[in-house]
Amino acid sequence: MKIIIKRIAAAIPVLFIVSIMVFLMLQLLPGDPATVILGQEATPEAVEAMREQLGLNQPLLIQYLHWLGNVLQGNLGQSLVDGTSVNDLIAERLPATLELAFGSFLVALLIALPCGILSAARPNTVIDHFCTFISLIGMSIPHFWLGMMCIILFAVELGILPASGYVPFFDDPVENLKTIILPVVATGFRESAVLTRMVRSSMLEVMQSDYIRTAKAKGLGERTILFGHALKNAMIPVITTSGIMLAGLLGGLVITETIFNIPGYGKLIIDSVFNRDFITVQSAILVSAVFVVVVNIAVDILYALVDPRIRLGKEGA
Amino acid sequence: MFKNWKKTVSIILPGILLMGMLSGCGKGSQKSSSAKNSITISLHQDPPKLDPMLSSAFVDRIVFQNLYDKLVDLDSKGNIIPMLAEKWEISPDGKTYTFHLKKGVKFHDGTEFNAEAVKFNLDRDRQKNSNRKGELSAVAEVKVVDPLTVQIVLSRPYAPLLSQLTDRAGMMVSPAAVKKDGDKFQNNPVGTGPYKFQERKKGNQLVLVKNPDYWKKGYPKTEKLIFKIMTDSNVALVNLKSGQVDMTNRFPLNEVSKYASDSKIGIVNQPGPGFKGIIFNLKDPAFQDKRVRQAINKVIDREAIVKVALFGVGTPGRSALSPTSWAYDAESDKPQAVDVEGAQKLLAAAGKENGFSFTILTDSDPVSQQACQLIQKQLKAINIDMKIQKQDFGTLLDRTQKGDFQMAYMGWSGRTDPDGNFYSWVYSEGTDNFMKYSDPEMDQLLEEGRSLTDQGARKEVYKKVMQKLNEDVPYIYLYHENNVFGLSKAVKGFTPVPDGMIRTLDMTKE
Repeated sequence: MKIIIKRIAAAIPVLFIVSIMVFLMLQLLPGDPATVILGQEATPEAVEAMREQLGLNQPLLIQYLHWLGNVLQGNLGQSLVDGTSVNDLIAERLPATLELAFGSFLVALLIALPCGILSAARPNTVIDHFCTFISLIGMSIPHFWLGMMCIILFAVELGILPASGYVPFFDDPVENLKTIILPVVATGFRESAVLTRMVRSSMLEVMQSDYIRTAKAKGLGERTILFGHALKNAMIPVITTSGIMLAGLLGGLVITETIFNIPGYGKLIIDSVFNRDFITVQSAILVSAVFVVVVNIAVDILYALVDPRIRLGKEGA
Repeated sequence: MFKNWKKTVSIILPGILLMGMLSGCGKGSQKSSSAKNSITISLHQDPPKLDPMLSSAFVDRIVFQNLYDKLVDLDSKGNIIPMLAEKWEISPDGKTYTFHLKKGVKFHDGTEFNAEAVKFNLDRDRQKNSNRKGELSAVAEVKVVDPLTVQIVLSRPYAPLLSQLTDRAGMMVSPAAVKKDGDKFQNNPVGTGPYKFQERKKGNQLVLVKNPDYWKKGYPKTEKLIFKIMTDSNVALVNLKSGQVDMTNRFPLNEVSKYASDSKIGIVNQPGPGFKGIIFNLKDPAFQDKRVRQAINKVIDREAIVKVALFGVGTPGRSALSPTSWAYDAESDKPQAVDVEGAQKLLAAAGKENGFSFTILTDSDPVSQQACQLIQKQLKAINIDMKIQKQDFGTLLDRTQKGDFQMAYMGWSGRTDPDGNFYSWVYSEGTDNFMKYSDPEMDQLLEEGRSLTDQGARKEVYKKVMQKLNEDVPYIYLYHENNVFGLSKAVKGFTPVPDGMIRTLDMTKE
């Protein structure tokens, strides 16, 4: 418990710094929201009127504090482009992003764990080479290409899955799964590649350690050794990598979202950057920073669960 | 821990199986994902603002055609035809327009459309924060004569007025809804159009439903209109092929020739009203001498740019007016062969025979980039070293507006009245005059073009304008982009109009 509280306390200054950095970096972007909103035919007077209306003429510090004050009260502000609430914008995008991220993550684990463990259990055999080959493909094939190929095969040629789009789960669960399956598999396959290698090398290392040799000498079965003794120890670096991966996935997948036309988090941020919708960008990035922090805390908890040494060590300190 | 693993797997596995089963279930219904009584159209961009007063994006206008009726409309030849105004008269001095409105038209919220509503809209469009202010700058007053007659009084004759009223400036929004919703109106648009706003998911889709009380009896013919946002034209094409989308508002240029005789997909490909080209910063010392600009103009091979960068889907040109415009003058748009020698002579006369170097700014569109690379190569022939700098559109706009550039690759979506392709660009105070081109004779010609009411006389004026621009070269016109729509063969009743919009009133799906 203590670690968790400590971790949360440490996250607050991190989020605060992120908020300042994002705010200042956006100010450095050339181009001003009023100009972009009004387009190339706008008169200077109209631009000035728009700046005034959007509150862009106020000093930076005031703008920042105003935004931060609202955020602390749970109000992420209003989009500069059309005045819709950023809370709504983000809430609208979250289901697709969460589904995409966790789905891809799951696919990645389902490929990486069996492949990694198998190739570590039978190093330098056909199985190992096959798994290595698969992960090599996953690493080297651009996933936008894989996505496109999947669309052409399953949507255009076979016609069994929709080419793109997103239907919220609670609107129509069947349609939802049909729209999400291709992007999830395409992304998950890519993410699995690094993870497979990670599982393999981590397992191999553990398999060569003394206690495994002892276990073998005791005459324990291979399965017991692999799953009962080796796997847990090999999981630590895998959990770290998975955590980073999941945090990245939660931050949005611009390319996957574009190809499969999914209104997700990544596209929200990119579109808002191009529209110079500062408020939306600031708030959206802050929210994804919260995701990263949460995932990291979850990873720490997992460490403690998997490895008693960490648990005991921390509690002792 | 081992046991926990087992548990986890025993939870996950059935989950996966379930997912697989579910995804297998609906296989049969797949092809009908866009229903028969609805038409799904893909748009290349999410319409930013659904209020015609605030709108600044091309794509807004496509959606507007269904939500809002206009006082007057365009037919497929570009002629002005009645819409909410049944007929109109123009006073001999060209300063008073009297519109007689259609009777019994209602907004989607049930309130009545009448002369008061027209006055409300035109007054609203002329207020300070309106993006329509410039288009209606000649309007001095809007007078309600009787409930079905309205008069627009101009401070000076302004020939493009009717043409402006076929577009956003003439779109009628419900005064009651504006008063009720204020700033939120754009997220809850109410007009008199054939379709009513139903719902929108930002970045995903926009759904409109049939207006059952539409004034044109028996129309629209389709129950539901769905706009899906697909920023990538290849993605849109794949969806068109798989039947999820019935029409696309863009088409990948490199695929156009492949679909010329496809059994399922048709293409509508016609020159648009706009232009693309390069702007000079006339304040930059390198380009102050007219002869330098003329020299560059002489060595750019438009045909090559259209052939390579646009896969031939475009119309090379040297004019701000596309061949579809009534004011188009073929003489000033005559193709000319690349003339390296002539260009070298001009450069020598300007004291730049050894060439020079500068930077062009371009947006991140691959077509623009490729066009710039071609120009870069073509300019090498006269020893000019052009560097290319890529920017996102927001930055590009910011830098060109501030004059922080030497040359930029930029275009215009175009308007159906010739004034709309010249005035804002080359009038000395024009809002798109990033060149800072200023010439009293040009200003006078442009004013004349606005004030004459006779179309023949106006055409003569714009001919002179174009001749002068070809001589002064503040902007190099390169080509007119084509409007390319992809259509499922099941969709009938689409007629392209020169403004590049999609009018859905007659459209049906078999």
